Amino acid sequence: MRTGTQARKYRLQGAGLDLALPYLMLAPGLTIVLGILVYPLWDGLRASTRAYRYGSPVADVGLQNYLHLWSDAQFLNALWVTVKFVALSVSFEAVLGFALALFCLHEFRGIRLLRTVLIIPMVITPVVVAIVFRLIYASDAGMLTALCKAMGGGGVQILGNPLNAFIGLVALDVWEWTPLMFLILLAGLQSLPHEPFEAARVDGAGAWRVFADLTFPMMRPVLAVAIVLRTIDAFGTFDQVFVLTRGGPGEATRLISIYGYDTAFKFQQTGYAAALFVTIGLVVLALAFSAIRLLRRIDAS
Amino acid sequence: MSNRMARILTTIFVLAVVLLPIYWLVSTSLKSNREITQEGTLYPHVPTLDNYVRLFTEKQFGSYLTNSLVVTFFSVAVALIVGAMGAYAIARFRLPFAAERKVGLFLLTLRIIPPVVILIPVYLLMLSLGLLDSWLGLIATYTAFNVTFCVWMMESFFREIPVDLEEAAMVDGDSRFGAFRRITLPLAAPGLAATAIFAVLVTFNEFLFALALTATPRAMTMPRGTATLIGRIDTDWASMAAAGVIGALPIVFFALLVQRHLVRGLTMGAVK
Repeated sequence: MRTGTQARKYRLQGAGLDLALPYLMLAPGLTIVLGILVYPLWDGLRASTRAYRYGSPVADVGLQNYLHLWSDAQFLNALWVTVKFVALSVSFEAVLGFALALFCLHEFRGIRLLRTVLIIPMVITPVVVAIVFRLIYASDAGMLTALCKAMGGGGVQILGNPLNAFIGLVALDVWEWTPLMFLILLAGLQSLPHEPFEAARVDGAGAWRVFADLTFPMMRPVLAVAIVLRTIDAFGTFDQVFVLTRGGPGEATRLISIYGYDTAFKFQQTGYAAALFVTIGLVVLALAFSAIRLLRRIDAS
Repeated sequence: MSNRMARILTTIFVLAVVLLPIYWLVSTSLKSNREITQEGTLYPHVPTLDNYVRLFTEKQFGSYLTNSLVVTFFSVAVALIVGAMGAYAIARFRLPFAAERKVGLFLLTLRIIPPVVILIPVYLLMLSLGLLDSWLGLIATYTAFNVTFCVWMMESFFREIPVDLEEAAMVDGDSRFGAFRRITLPLAAPGLAATAIFAVLVTFNEFLFALALTATPRAMTMPRGTATLIGRIDTDWASMAAAGVIGALPIVFFALLVQRHLVRGLTMGAVK
């Protein structure tokens, strides 16, 4: 038996050139990634400890850029807006996506049309999604204004008002990404075992009991994965805000990515912006790794 | 009966929420600016294609489209070839110190970090290489991003294919690489297709790096060109709407065409 596996292993690993094969196959991909992602990552770390003037480094400042972040009111505000945006959007998407997935679990006519149509929001270019919503919100040419007027009301102000603009941005994200939640959760629901549900039906359990005692607990891992994926993604949201509001009015929709971009390219504070981005990267990685650990615990229990 | 009614009403409601905004985009793109701002009509009373014609004659949308297609094609093609090899190595070989698994984990970690984090250094890198505002600069950047998730996605597809088939081919005299190329790769084709489709989608839609790395119609991609147009023509709603339609049309059409694979790609990793 043992010699059998060893022979098999030998045959698989081969001899001569075949021994180097795994390295040869990994090399091109790793070279590209090291050159274009990892080197910049390291370079960004280096830049984050320097002060820049007109795009060139002028002094080493150690960790000062990082310390400065926490007394920068604009950074703190951007961070707070981002956290609010992510929490609100992802919660709505999870609840709506789950409800819609439960609804679509029973096959009925029209479900294929529904699934096809739901693909559209998440594949449309994010820049175009922002255009779509600007055309909805615009106070003169907007769909909301047109609808209000058609029903006898007046115009509506969305993007000019801080609170409305923020809500409008959340609505955009919910429109764009609820379908992804829906698809993941529907696939999860469809892969649940049938037996417990049949047993519950035989016992005469009501719809709510089935959901609370069976569906929801069994769906927790999938739900958690979907939420983690969306949260990580939402943290980096940039395109939609850039086109919809450019962060305004005031700082109402200025997410951390927009603030970082402006710091780097508008205000030319390269070192400070680099420190900001390194901080975001660390926050997201910490978030991801604690989520993975949480998931392992759910899986184990 | 009431159950059925509820189902129909919900379906109609969801369809309306998804489709009304898109209807408004298309309908606005077919109106004149006068009709949009002064009459506020709910559908184009005097439909016109002028807005579209203007995009291609005055606004260089032809170049944007060409740039997008070239950049997407090359960065996805290279990432797929390179990624397939890397994924295969990780799925099949056991290296000293479990190096292959560490490489896999490393690529996944890179994938988690938001791209915006390395925006500045990538910009500086392309600046020093003289690759700003060029196809090559964008292709290189997108290829690198695509490699990280191509490897990660394809590895799981390769794992699903039994080793025995390769072994049989090698007993028959194939080399290791030959077995990979002739046996495993064709069997993994559906997985490769799902990966490619997802990569096309992400690459075609990318905006942030296109914004930082390009500046003229020589290299601007579709999303980049569209956003530029909007910056300049704040209240030219008609052009904006037409640009939105043109910007989204290729990728929506593509997505609906390959729908089945797309769903698999989008939910990959989350659901087995």
